[in-house]
Amino acid sequence: MRVKLENLTRIFPNRNKGGDDVVAVNNFTYEIPDGKLVGLLGPSGCGKSTSLYMICGLQKPTSGKIYFGDEDVTDLAPEHRGVGLVFQNYALYPHMTVKQNILFPLQNLKGEDKLDKDTMLERAYEVARLVQIDELMDRKPAELSGGQQQRVAIARALVKMPRVLLLDEPLSNLDARLRLQTREEIKKIQQSTGITTVFVTHDQEEAMSISDSIVVMKLGVVQQTGAPQDVYDNPINLFVAKFLGTPPINVFDGEVKDGALYIGEDKVLATPNVKDQKVYVGIRPEGFIPAEKGALHCSLQNVEVMGRDVSIVSTNKALSSQSANKVIRSIVDADTKIDRNAKEVAFNIKPNKIFLFNKKTEERIIVGK
Amino acid sequence: MAKKLAPQQTLNTTMVEKDMKDVVSTEKVMKVIRTICVYLFLGFMALIILFPFYWMINSSLKTLEEYKWQVPSFVPKTIVWGNYKEAFKAGNLAVLFVNTLYVGIVSTVLSLVITVLSAFAFARLEFKGKNALFAALLATMMIPGELFTITNYITVSKLGWTTGDTGTYAVLIIPFLVSVFYIYLLRQNFLQIPNELYLAAKVDGTSDIKYLWKVMIPLSLPTLISITILKMMGAWNSYIWPKLVAKDTAHTLISSGLRNAFTDANNDTNYPVQMAAVALVSLPLFLVFVFLRKYIMKGVSRSGIKG
Amino acid sequence: MVDNKQQWKAWLYLAPAIVLLLLFTVWPIINTVRMAFLEGYGNLSSLNADKTFEFGIENFEKVVKYKKFTTCLKNTCLLCVLTVPISTLLALVIAVCLNSIKPFSRLLQTIYFLPYVTNSIAIGMVFASMFNIIGGADISKAVSIGIVNNVIEFFGGERIAWISTGSSYSANIAVMVIYIVWNALPFKILILLGGLQSVNKQYYDAAKIDGTSKWRVFWRITVPLLSPMIAYVLITGFIGGFKEYTATVGVFGEKMGPADDPGRLNTMVGFIYKQLEGDHQGLASAASLILFGIILVITLINLKISSKKVQY
Repeated sequence: MRVKLENLTRIFPNRNKGGDDVVAVNNFTYEIPDGKLVGLLGPSGCGKSTSLYMICGLQKPTSGKIYFGDEDVTDLAPEHRGVGLVFQNYALYPHMTVKQNILFPLQNLKGEDKLDKDTMLERAYEVARLVQIDELMDRKPAELSGGQQQRVAIARALVKMPRVLLLDEPLSNLDARLRLQTREEIKKIQQSTGITTVFVTHDQEEAMSISDSIVVMKLGVVQQTGAPQDVYDNPINLFVAKFLGTPPINVFDGEVKDGALYIGEDKVLATPNVKDQKVYVGIRPEGFIPAEKGALHCSLQNVEVMGRDVSIVSTNKALSSQSANKVIRSIVDADTKIDRNAKEVAFNIKPNKIFLFNKKTEERIIVGK
Repeated sequence: MAKKLAPQQTLNTTMVEKDMKDVVSTEKVMKVIRTICVYLFLGFMALIILFPFYWMINSSLKTLEEYKWQVPSFVPKTIVWGNYKEAFKAGNLAVLFVNTLYVGIVSTVLSLVITVLSAFAFARLEFKGKNALFAALLATMMIPGELFTITNYITVSKLGWTTGDTGTYAVLIIPFLVSVFYIYLLRQNFLQIPNELYLAAKVDGTSDIKYLWKVMIPLSLPTLISITILKMMGAWNSYIWPKLVAKDTAHTLISSGLRNAFTDANNDTNYPVQMAAVALVSLPLFLVFVFLRKYIMKGVSRSGIKG
Repeated sequence: MVDNKQQWKAWLYLAPAIVLLLLFTVWPIINTVRMAFLEGYGNLSSLNADKTFEFGIENFEKVVKYKKFTTCLKNTCLLCVLTVPISTLLALVIAVCLNSIKPFSRLLQTIYFLPYVTNSIAIGMVFASMFNIIGGADISKAVSIGIVNNVIEFFGGERIAWISTGSSYSANIAVMVIYIVWNALPFKILILLGGLQSVNKQYYDAAKIDGTSKWRVFWRITVPLLSPMIAYVLITGFIGGFKEYTATVGVFGEKMGPADDPGRLNTMVGFIYKQLEGDHQGLASAASLILFGIILVITLINLKISSKKVQY
């Protein structure tokens, strides 16, 4: 099912007199293609959960439209939209067994959709097998591990064969190892069912790893949409660049002078067709190549061996206060030889890993050819 | 500060100087003595608590003659089970039991429905003036019930409810159906149920009533059971209002019926029979207590309802 | 998530409660105040259409001057002042003892809770039988003197007319105090024990390390930490005490006193009902407002004290 959001806006009136209304989601327009997995991504308070709740119908948009296929569902109650929702804390009914939990949505069907008992059970077991909990059907939620509860929640959302599956921070309540495993399973389930799926997360790694496309939001405004790799490689502004990637991007205060980019005294990149100005410079950790005669000079602090690769920690006076870390973190191949006792390290910068941003608007400045 | 510290310092030094073994052994003895004293005290108090119950049963099984012995017997010499039979007949207990049960059950059921609906509205629904209304309800709990009773008595008299079968029962039941306190108690319980469960049910197309019935009520069952028991006990023990409005014997409830049935002015009151009646009235409460102690004690300690 | 449909739905759910509350709670508050200030108001006389009532405080004046009322007020206050501190202290000691033991603790807790699940009229009659003297006004020649007197004589004391004809006022009060304390213990023990069990054990460990004596621990740690519960038990005790009625009915019957002096032990609530039954709604209302005033004052005093003294 194709999901289309058109100028979706949600305003929460301020409770205090004279205060400004809170715009949770501002003019959100996006189309989710049929059968795709889309991640809504952003820091807390960015409006991603509100967007999700509007898609499922628990919250009404202040203005704008939502279409499932060609059907306008904006004013439809959640139960008539055919959506399945998995809550962050799963919201399993604690007094019911797994089976009763999964059956519960089916028992609500009325009229033509009403199912007989055997069909309901069959459907419940089918979906339980899909998420591999068919052995646990008679247990209560409290007797299950976090990962199992999560699967029950997914099964409960899937059992009525929703047109759209919605997941609210599906992995945040799981421990790190389980998270890796579960996110793959979610991807697998989504692919095997082919249900259009939207999920919300604040964890960019989670979003990038399984989404077909991601939507990055900030303070109610959509910043950028696209396939995860595209967004990562071509961030539209400083916020997106900073938000995606671990370790986070390193941000410097730089200046474009006479067709070249300077970080401090170091001339690091030729920038044709960019007019002279002060800029923010973002360099991905993997964009650094240590070289004896490298362009960017930094004082070496530490070398962390991670096995597969090596993380070089260094400092530079030009490092911006915008940077997430107070040090420069660069990731290089483990084979690279680095003198740990050296006081200084110099890098060449990969041109496709360095981004310039306008100092005021923080918009990306495209370096022309 | 320095002055206050001084005695403690000396105490510490004497402690160190003393032979530690000595200290340990005297402490042990002290502890044993203390434990014995505690048990003696608790046992004695338990006896005092239990004695009236024992005396009630003991007396209820005696003949009137044995009851009047100068030195009373602690176990009845001849056990007269007939006292219970007589009490049942003389006190018209059967009618009183049925009346009280009827009033108790009907008022409990209706009261639960009203309480659940109101608590749900206060806990889960959004509407204008919710907080103000809730505060107003809580404020009425301050006022002693006697203040209401006066006008309520006039109201039901004017409505002409005090006569006839349905009328009298209605009067016994309706004025006390709403307990602000139970609404408050249940609302608190409902609020503890995570909101996500409600939203999940909404997404699944569950109606409010079905959600209430299938999720909220099962999850707050302990509170509802506590309320049920306390409400039933309330009906069993209510005295003032039934005495006021149910003047004919056909509608008398157990408490007022009991006191009036055996308080003849003449000195020939058959005390053993009276005690048998008292025991019969106490028995259902006792049984409820034995089987549902957990809920009662929890309900009372959580709600702090004064009996 | 605010749904406009929820508005009328909420009111629908609340409707039964609101209707009943308006009729049996809100209206009575208004009407009782009105009647209290209508002079000489009574149901029978109010049926007389020509009769109009003047607004005034005559009802209050009458009530206060009424000797029966002052007796009731005195009885109620006396019972409160005696029973509340005694039962609270006793409950506190029992709770602390219960909290300090392991074996039999649950059994004893159950026993101590038993009086809560009783019918106060029924057990009042049992107490009456334990104290009652049968056979003759001359107690030295009485047929049966009641188990309590038997015990007193066993220990070499003299028999006392507790509740029968010729009994003294102080003996009557003593019986009522014993019964009310017996009846009030379970609730107080339950609340205080619950409070004790939720006190962090670390305080006691800390005190032990400092070598604090048990007595000091009780007064300096247990009581202050329990002070919210104690305050709660005291306030409910006083409020309950001022509404005392059924316990007296249980022991003395509806004449509210020994046979030769009915009404001697009547209470505030008893007075209100006597007036109501006697068709003096104005007086009953005035008395109930006085009762409300007393309860309000106690509550306010308690609030004031507890905001200062209660620890936490």
